[in-house]
Order: sequence, then C-alpha cells, then structure tokens
Amino acid sequence: MSRFLARRLLTTLVSLLLASVVVFGAVLAVPGDPAVVILGMNAAPEALAALRQQLGLDVPAPQRYLAWLGGVVRGDLGESIQYQRPVTRLIGDRLGVSVPLTLAAALLATLVAVPVGIATALKRGTVWDPLIVLASQVGAAIPSFWLGLLLILVFAVGAGWLPSGGFPGWDVSVGRSLRALVLPVLALGLGQAAVMTRMTRAAMLDVLSQDFVRTARAKGLAGRSVVGKHALRNALVTLVTVLGLTMVNVFVGAIVIEQVFSLPGIGRLALTAIGNRDYPLVQGVVLLYASAIVLMSFLVDLSYGWLDPRIRYA
Amino acid sequence: MTRTHRWIVAALTATLLAGQALAQDPAPVVGGTVTVAISADPPGWDPTLSTSQEIARVTYGNVYEGLVRFDRNGTIVPALATAWQVSSDGLAWTFTLREGVRFHDGSPLTVEDVLFKFERARNPDSGHVNTGYYAAVADVRAPDPRTIVFELTQPSRSLLYNLARPDAIIYPQALAETQRSRPVGTGPFVFARYVEGSEVRLERFDDYWNPELPYLDGATFRIISDPNARVAALQAGDVDYVGAAIPPEQVRVLQANPALKVASGTATAEITVAMNNARAPFDDIRVRQAITHAIDKDVIVQGAFFGLGTVIGTHMSPSEPYYVDLTATYPYDPERARALLAEAGYAGGLSFDFELPEPYAIERRTGEIIAQQLREVGITVNLSVVEWGTWIQRIFLAADYDMTIIGHSEPRDINIYGNPGYYYQYDNPRIAELLAQAEAAPTAEAETAVYQEIARIIAEDAVNVWVFSPANTVAVRADVYGFWVDQPTPALDVTQVFRAR
Repeated sequence: MSRFLARRLLTTLVSLLLASVVVFGAVLAVPGDPAVVILGMNAAPEALAALRQQLGLDVPAPQRYLAWLGGVVRGDLGESIQYQRPVTRLIGDRLGVSVPLTLAAALLATLVAVPVGIATALKRGTVWDPLIVLASQVGAAIPSFWLGLLLILVFAVGAGWLPSGGFPGWDVSVGRSLRALVLPVLALGLGQAAVMTRMTRAAMLDVLSQDFVRTARAKGLAGRSVVGKHALRNALVTLVTVLGLTMVNVFVGAIVIEQVFSLPGIGRLALTAIGNRDYPLVQGVVLLYASAIVLMSFLVDLSYGWLDPRIRYA
Repeated sequence: MTRTHRWIVAALTATLLAGQALAQDPAPVVGGTVTVAISADPPGWDPTLSTSQEIARVTYGNVYEGLVRFDRNGTIVPALATAWQVSSDGLAWTFTLREGVRFHDGSPLTVEDVLFKFERARNPDSGHVNTGYYAAVADVRAPDPRTIVFELTQPSRSLLYNLARPDAIIYPQALAETQRSRPVGTGPFVFARYVEGSEVRLERFDDYWNPELPYLDGATFRIISDPNARVAALQAGDVDYVGAAIPPEQVRVLQANPALKVASGTATAEITVAMNNARAPFDDIRVRQAITHAIDKDVIVQGAFFGLGTVIGTHMSPSEPYYVDLTATYPYDPERARALLAEAGYAGGLSFDFELPEPYAIERRTGEIIAQQLREVGITVNLSVVEWGTWIQRIFLAADYDMTIIGHSEPRDINIYGNPGYYYQYDNPRIAELLAQAEAAPTAEAETAVYQEIARIIAEDAVNVWVFSPANTVAVRADVYGFWVDQPTPALDVTQVFRAR
C-alpha cells in the first residue's frame, strides 16, 4: 500500500509539473499584451515598453518560467498585474465563494442522481424508466447558463424571492450570502444531476446483469438485500468515479455560473484575468484548476482499494 | 454638436421611447442611495495609469476632479479651477485654483499637487497615460498659491479639452502611489470600499467644496459582466441604474416595465469599417467608394439595432461639438458601386478578408450584415472572427489585415487620420497640416471649421466606412432622477442623482 501511495504521489507530482509547463506555455501562446490592455489602443510605444519592463515581460520566457516555478514551490504565485495583490491572496478570497458553490452543487447532484439513477435501473421496463431517461436527457442537454437565466427570471425577477445575482460576502451577512448561492447551486447542480443520473443508471444496470446478482436472487435473498448489499456495493467503484467526474465538471461549470450570477468566485477571476492578460493571475488560477483535477483523480484512485478489497495495490 | 442636432436626436429617440418625462424632474431630495451596474473590474482605479473606461465610469466627477470637467452636455465647466484665461498670443493659459478645497484624507488642495500632477502627465516615463496630450506644453508654473500657468510652445486649442478628460484629474502628491488601490480625490464621494469582482461603494464626502452636493448618501457600483444579468438585476430591483451597454434587443422589454424609466442619448463611439488603404484593392479610391456605396447603413441601424443609433458619414459622432452630417457623400447606391468596381477593373468580382473582433457583439452583428450587402454587388467577403489579443497585435498594431470593423469610442479622435502609421495606413500630409491649423485656430468657430474640413476630406477619400454611432441607452428605477443620458465622456456621474420620495 505505501509503495503504491509513493508511486501514485510521484505520478501526481509529475502531472502537476507537466501541467505547470502547459499552463505557462499556453499563457505565452495567447496573443495580446497586458501593457496594451492597461494603456489603451492609443498608447505611445515608449510608454508600452516602459510598462512591459516594469511588469517583467522583457525577461526571456524560460527564465520567467523558472522564477515562477521557484515561487510556486514556496507557495508564492506572484502578484496580479491588475489588482496589484498577491495571487494567492486573491485566490484565497475567491475560494470562499467557489468552494461552497461547488460542494453544494455536487452534493445536490449526488442526492438527486444516486436515488433516481438506482430507481430507474430497478424500474427498467416500467413506464417510469423512459420518462426519467427522457427527463435526464433533456436536463443534460440544457446549458447551465440558460438554466441560470431561467431561474433568475422566475425566482428573482418574477417572484422576487431570491437575489438575481451578486454576493454580499460572508463577513457582511451569512444569511444573505446563503440566499445568494441558492439559485447558482440549483443551476449548476441540476444539470450535473441529469448527467450523473444517466451514469448511475448505467452502472447499476451493468451490475444487476452480472452473474452474482442472479445467484443472489436465485438463492432467495430479498430484493432489498440484493440491491443494497450486493449490487450497490459493487456499483460503488463506478459511482465514485462518476462522483469524481462530477466534482471536476461542477468545478469547471462554475466558471459560467459565476458569470451569470455575478459571483466573485475563482471562475470569474479567471475570465477577468484572461481578458486583461494578467499573466501571473491566469497562471495561478489555471494551475489551481489543474491541481484540483489531478488531486481529484488521486483521491478517486485511493478510494478504490478502500471500497473494494479485491483491488490490490501491488 | 449644435443645439438643433441634439434636439433632432432627442426627438428621434423620444418617438421610439415614448412616455418618458425626463425633463420634468422633481426638486432634489437629500439622502438615500442607489445601486449602479458596471461591467468589469478595471486594472486598478487610477485613471492616470490606465485608459480603462470602467475606471472613468466610477470615478469621473464622483471621486476625482481636474481643473475643469465635462458636464452632462459635454460643455467644459469649472471644477478645481474657478476661472481661466488665455493670453492673446495663445501661448499662456492661466487657471485660478478654487479656494478651500480638501481631499478625502482631509489635506488641502495646493498648487504643489497640481504641479506634481502635470509634471507626471508630461513625462513619458512616469507611467501616466496620454502624455502626448501635453506635447505643446513647455512649462507649468505657479506664480502664487492660487494660480497655475501653462506655457506653450505653440497655441493649443485642445489643451482645455484635454484638461477635462478623465486622466487629467488631480490627487494628493503624498498619496500618488496608492491611488490604484485606494483612490483619494476631491469629488463629492469618498471611495469607501472595493470588493474585487463584486462591488465598489462610494460614500458622501461631507467636506465637499460645493455644500449643495451630493444629494445621495452613497452609491454602490455592482460589477455584473453579463449584459442579460444586468438587465435581470434591474428588473428584479437589485440594481437601480444601468447607464451603459444595454443590449438593444432588451430595450423594449425594459420599456414595457412600469417600474423603470428608459432613455436614449448620444455616445462617442463610431462603428468603423476600417480598410487597409495601403493594400490592394483598397489602395484604389474607386474600390473604397464602391464599398461605401454598397452599404445600406439605415437598414443596419433600423433592422439590427432597433433604430438605437445615428447613421454617420465621417469619423465623428453626434456627441462631438463640431459634428457635421456627411452621410450624403457616398449614399447607398448598389448600381453606382458595381459601376465603380467595373471601372477599377473588378467587373468580374473581387475577394478579400473581413475580420470581426470577438468581444464586440455590435461590431460582429454589423459586420455580418455588411458582408451580405457587399456580396450583393459582387464582392466575395471571407468573414472570420478574431480573438481580441490577435486583433490588437496583428490588425491594430501591425496593420496586417484587409478589412475589419471596430467602434472607436475615444471622443475627439479624428487626429488619428493625421498619423500615416495608424492601422488604416492612410497617408495624407494635408490632414496633419490641418490638425496643426486647428490647434492654432484663433477662435472656437475657426477651430470647428478646420475640423469639419478634415471630416470632409476623409469622407471624400472614403478612407473607411463609418456606419453609425450607437445610442447610449440608460435604464433606471422610476424614482431615480438626475442621471446622465448622453455620454460626452464615459461617466456614471451620480453627483446630481437623487431619489424622489
């Protein structure tokens, strides 16, 4: 187990290092210049050159990469050009919105998708099955930004129950901050729930068709026991994989939702940073996304052995 | 712009946006707050370090003031200077500094702050934007603690105008380094709190030099990037005032809402189809004329933008004081377009690339319609959408393109036609001569005449196709008064805004 852990940790670190090269290279490959964004279209060439030097953009790229990587190792992601604050602080502030949003949406998706997915797998062949399959198909096809706008129109503009967007801040009002997250969580979670329902149903159907389930039924076990003890436990490995994917989807999907609901989260920070060619900030945020995804797959891998003793780490 | 024209625009928009009685404002009420929508976090808040319009929208007049400023009609009025005069040779401008002005940190405004500001504004290494505006200034000095003199090497008509721009504001010399994160000015509102990605809060400044202003206790500027979300926030009552960039297709929805007021005014942008004048086939004036004749601007404004804009015929928006209507120079005439193309040797057709800038919806939509109109006279247009960084780098800075489209939103920017290196690649030394003449003009009338002459020359040369100037549509809650309808400069000025009881 510990050898496996060490090896898995090593591959995770190598993935992260590769991700850092890709992140840095991708930002370089994007055309545009933060100096032009800041000084405007009619700026004098001398002024642009002076600002580039001030921003450290006149240093060759490999040298800049090494300096940046050295900072990353020490937990220093540099300073944002636009906000003139440390990137780590900016990200830290925004996590207070993005983490609750992402976790709540993933939780909502799981709470809806797992029971519904299992139920449709069991009710296969009844009238409910095609109805729920259709509903999940429609749900998966609706873009989350559109669902978000629809929710705003119904619950904020129409009924006036919830705010149309914005985020007052946990320090200002916890209650109002929670209310501000209700519609975004619904918009983000429901679409994911639809996708996850389909995956859960498929995983459950796969397990239910296997020999040991037939054997369990044949030896006269109650239906509930067959499903709960045998089928569900065997489907769990697939479900955890699905959950890992859902977490990643929700995390990335939050970029759009934060835009629609004007939430000051990581996704909006990323979009603003890209628009302003704020290189240190873009690199920091994209590295955060890459790390989160790599970490998620690491956790999912680890959970396999715990969930299914048959999986051995050699 | 002439008074008459303003009223024509007003009449046009009034027929479209009937039922608003904006002129009959009730008496101002003191107290209360408003929530205003803006669209993005700017790169810091110091208008002397970035030309971002979002900085000006929040801070111009509200937080920061210069010696002079634009009022809601675009007229230059006193701000930190109470009076000014120009010497008879036009080489010395003398400003009298207002007495008893305090900055938000409590320190008094002094001539040292003013001298420090213009030292920076004239130094290209200081990071100050638009240092070129002060090219004619030889020296700025203060003969006494209430007088500032600008000494010029040659007369400069545009000096006063440039002193009213958003980057000409004055802040305390001692706090220059921290303005990006914490603006401190002399305006009627204090910059109280900024939550990145979320909101900016301004609070009433009790020591403002004009004791009658502001009316409001405070104003919150909420950052809402999505245009539809801005409109939804207004409808839901989360926002009271959306002062810029309302999508034209949303205007009717807002008008139908009795809790809201909608008004439309002029803004400074010219939607411009730019052509690479140095590159074939655009180096042939007949091709450029043909392209202008082929484009039906009225159809675009009426059909795609619900009439919310003014058709233009040169690089001037109706918000300019020297605006002249030149739409009749090369009117829509597809027959004439075909004849000119045949004359230029393109009877068998013509093909070029037309690149649309990705971030700008108005330009993209206009460009798609124009491509179709050009196809109707036998021009094959290869349409593509380019990412903004590419647009700046390759098209704007390197002038490597055939045709593109962009809104030029800077006010008073016809001077770009005097620069042969500009991305239009239009080389006409006469324009630079005329620009110098305008700067040295003895009177405002003479200056206007020269600018109109420039406008006429570039229109006749068909340098570009100037399509229209989009209207500035404003929507507010019904009890909000005193807001700007026109945008002579980008500003969401709330100094005279109040809420009726």
